[in-house]
Amino acid sequence: MINFFNTYQSLLDHILVNMLLAASQYVVLRAGVFSLGSAGFAALGAYCTALLTTKLGWNPWLSVVLGMMLGTFVSALLALPLSRLRGVFQAVATLAFVQIVLSATQNWVALTNGPMGVNSIPHAAGTASLLLIVVAVVVFLVMMGRYSFGRALDVIREDETVAVSLGISVPYYHRIAFVLSGALAGLSGGLHAISSYSITPQDYGFGLLVAALAMVVLGGRTTVWGALVGALVLTSLPEVFRVFADYRAVVQGLLLMLVIIYLPRGLADTVIAHLKDRRLRRTAASPVMAAPAGVLTAQTRSRS
Amino acid sequence: MSTALVLENVARHFGGVPAVDGVSLEVPAGQITGLIGPNGAGKTTVVNLITGILHLTRGRVLLDGQDVSRAEAPDLARAGVARTFQNIRLVPDASVLDNVLVGFHRHEKTGLWANLLGLPSARAEARQMQGEAMQLLERFGMTELAEHRAGALSYGHQRRIEMMRALASRPKVLLLDEPVAGMNDAEAESLAHIFRKVADDGVAVLLIEHNMRFVMSLCSRLYVLASGRLIAQGEPDAVGRDPVVVEAYLGA
Amino acid sequence: MLMQQLLNGIVVGSVYGLFALGFTLLFGVNHIMNMAHGSVFMWGAFAGLYAVLQLDAPIYVALLVGMLAGGAVSVLLDLVAFRPLRRRGGPEFSAIVSSIGADLVLISIAQKLSNTAVMRFPFDAFPVIFFSFMGMRVQLLQLVIMALVVVMVVGLVWYLYRTSFGLRIRSVAYAEQTSRLLGINPGPVNMQVFFISGALAGMAGVLIGLVFNSVHFAMGEPLLLRAFVIIIIGGLGSIPGALIAGMVIGIVQTLSVAYISSGVAEAIVFMALFVVIVLRPTGLFGQPTAAMRVQRT
Repeated sequence: MINFFNTYQSLLDHILVNMLLAASQYVVLRAGVFSLGSAGFAALGAYCTALLTTKLGWNPWLSVVLGMMLGTFVSALLALPLSRLRGVFQAVATLAFVQIVLSATQNWVALTNGPMGVNSIPHAAGTASLLLIVVAVVVFLVMMGRYSFGRALDVIREDETVAVSLGISVPYYHRIAFVLSGALAGLSGGLHAISSYSITPQDYGFGLLVAALAMVVLGGRTTVWGALVGALVLTSLPEVFRVFADYRAVVQGLLLMLVIIYLPRGLADTVIAHLKDRRLRRTAASPVMAAPAGVLTAQTRSRS
Repeated sequence: MSTALVLENVARHFGGVPAVDGVSLEVPAGQITGLIGPNGAGKTTVVNLITGILHLTRGRVLLDGQDVSRAEAPDLARAGVARTFQNIRLVPDASVLDNVLVGFHRHEKTGLWANLLGLPSARAEARQMQGEAMQLLERFGMTELAEHRAGALSYGHQRRIEMMRALASRPKVLLLDEPVAGMNDAEAESLAHIFRKVADDGVAVLLIEHNMRFVMSLCSRLYVLASGRLIAQGEPDAVGRDPVVVEAYLGA
Repeated sequence: MLMQQLLNGIVVGSVYGLFALGFTLLFGVNHIMNMAHGSVFMWGAFAGLYAVLQLDAPIYVALLVGMLAGGAVSVLLDLVAFRPLRRRGGPEFSAIVSSIGADLVLISIAQKLSNTAVMRFPFDAFPVIFFSFMGMRVQLLQLVIMALVVVMVVGLVWYLYRTSFGLRIRSVAYAEQTSRLLGINPGPVNMQVFFISGALAGMAGVLIGLVFNSVHFAMGEPLLLRAFVIIIIGGLGSIPGALIAGMVIGIVQTLSVAYISSGVAEAIVFMALFVVIVLRPTGLFGQPTAAMRVQRT
C-alpha cells in the first residue's frame, strides 16, 4: 500500500500543480479573454523561485510567494495593453509573450543557466502542502465565480455587447481576470520548482501552453471543476496508460479537436449542466407543482 | 421636465449609403412609443445609434435633455438606457435567477472584496438584489423556474428572462427590440400587459416591432420607418389608416 | 558584407512572404487563423525530401510534390478540423483550438516518421552555382527562389482577379452570407482556398529546407510565429502587405542573426510581434475586423 502511494506520489504532486495551472487558464477563458500566456507566467514564477532558493539560499516558500508576485506583477503590466485586444489577437500576443520568456530563459545564460536549467532545487513542497494550497485556491475561485463577479464574467464571455448594455465595464473585468491568471500561473510555476528538483526552459514552452489549454478545453471553461477535471485527466492519462505517454502529443491533439467539435463545453461542464437539468426536471414534474413551467407549456399551447 | 429620450434628425450612413436618415422622434416617460416598419427599414440601426453601438453620421440624441450623441455604450447603460436584443443572448448555463441578477450590476455598490469576504454590507445587498429579482420573477410568472438552467427553457421563457434582466437595471429608457417575435398571441398579450405596467412605473418605453396588430393597442404614439426614413407618425389609429403606411407594408 | 546579408534577408523574406500569403489568404476568406499552417509547411518539406531521397526525383519535381502535399494536407485540415465547426457556427475560439489540436497531431506523426532526426536535402539536389555580383556571392538557388516567388504571386493575383473561380473566392471573402444568397457555394470555394494556401506553404517548405539545409518535424513552428508577425504588420488579408512585411522580417532576422545572435533574433521577432499587435493590430495595409472591442464604429 505504501509502495503504491510512493509510486504515485510524484504523479499526485504533478496533478496538483497542474490544477493550479489549469485554474489560471480557466479564469481567463471564463471571462472570454483568449489568453494563452499561463505558461509564460508559470515560467516566471518557477525561475524566480528556483533562482532565489538556489542562488541566494532563500526559504523555498518565501521564494514561491515572490514567484507568484512576479507573475502577478508582469500580468498586471500586460493587462493594460491586452485588455484592448480581442480574440485571436489576444491569443497571438500572449503566445508571443510565452516565446519571449522562453527566449529569455534559454539565452540569458548568466541568469538562468540557459538550456541546462536550474538544478538541485530543495524539494520543500510535500503532497500535503500542495493539496492544502489547491483546496484554498479552489474555495477562493468558487466564491469568486458564484456571485456578482462570476456573473459579470459569464455575460462578458457570452456576449460583450450585452455586457456593455448592462453597464458592465469590460476592460476592468478583463484586466482582473488576466492578473488573477498571472498570479495563479506564477504560483503554479513556483510550486513546480520546489516540487521537482530541477527546471529547464523547455518545461514552460509551447508544450505547457498547449497542455494548459487542453486541460481547460477538456474539462470545461465555465467552472473551476472543469479545470480540475481536465488537469486530473490529462496529467494522469500518460501515467496510467503507458501507451499514451509515447503518443502524448497525438492524444492531446486529438482530444482537443474531438472535444471542441463534439463536446464544446468540456466534460465537467456538460455533466454538471446535465445533472442540473435532470434534477430540476424531476422536481418540476412532481404533482405538487402548479401550472407547468418551461418545457411543458410548449405542448399545451394548443389552447391558443 | 424634458422628454426622456429625443432623437433630432438622426442619420447614419454606411460608406455613403444612408441606412437611416432624418429620423426625429420623442419617447416620453410613462408611455409606450412604437417604432414600426417593414423588415430592413432600419429599426435596429436606430436602436444601435441610441445605445452607443454606432456613431451618428448626423443629428443628436438627447437623454433627459442632455446631449449624449457622443457617449460610449457603457456610459449610456449607466445613464439608464436599457435594451433587449432581437436574438436572445442569455448565459445558457447559468440559472434564470443568475441571468436576471446580472441586470442589477450597475446598481451594485459593494465591491469585489466585500463580496468575497462575506462582509455584512455585501450580504445585505445580495439579499436585497435577490428579493428584487424574485419580485421580477413573480411579475413574469417564473418563480418556480428560478434555479433552472436558462438554456434549457423554451423560447418564450427565455424572452421573459431577457426582459427581466433589462428591467433589473431600473432603466429610465427601455428599448424593446422585437420582443414578441415568434410568440403566439396569448404570450404576446401577457407581455403587453407587463409593458404597460412598466410604462406606468414611469419608464420611457420605445417598442420596436413589425407586428402592426400587437403595437396598435399598446402604443400611445407611433413612428413608421421605411427604407431608413420616417414616413408617418402620430396616433396609432390614424397611422394605421394612412395610405402611405399601408403601401409601405404591402409593398415591402 | 551588409549587402550580402540584405540579399540573404530578401531571399529568405520572400519565402516567408509566400508562406504568410497562404496564411493571410485563409484569414481573408474564412476569418480564421490556421494554427496548423506551420505543419502544412513542414509536411510539404517532408514530401519534397521524400521525393528526392526515395524516388530520386529532380528538384523541380520535388517542388511540385511539396506543393501538392501541402495542398492536400491543408484540404484535409479543413475537412477534419474546420468544416465541422463552420457547419455549426462555432465561435472563433473553437476554430483556433481545433487547429492547435490538428497541429499537434501533424507534428507528432512527422516526429515519429522521421525519428526526431534532422534531415537534409542531398548536397547536389540543387545545382551549386554562384555568381559574383557587386561584391556579393549570389547563389543560383537564391535567384530561382525569387523568380519562383514572383511567379507564384503573379499567378495567385491572376487567379484571384482574372478568373471566375477567383471572383467567387473574393466574393465569399467580402460577404459570405450574400454570396451564399447569390448561389455561390462556399464549400468548393473553401476547398480551393485551403488548397492554394497549402500549396504555397508546401513550396515554401521545400525552399526553406533547401536554403537552411535542414528539414525536421518542428520546422513549422517558428515559421508560423513569423507568419503572425508578418501578417499583422503587413495587415490581415492583404497580399502586398504579406510580401513586403515578409521581406522586412526576413531582413531583420538575417541581420540580427549575423550581427547579434540567433537567440536574440528570435526574441526580437516576438517582441516586434507583441508591440505591433498592441499598437496597431490591423497592420499597415489591413482591414479592421470584428475582433475589435465593442465601441462606436
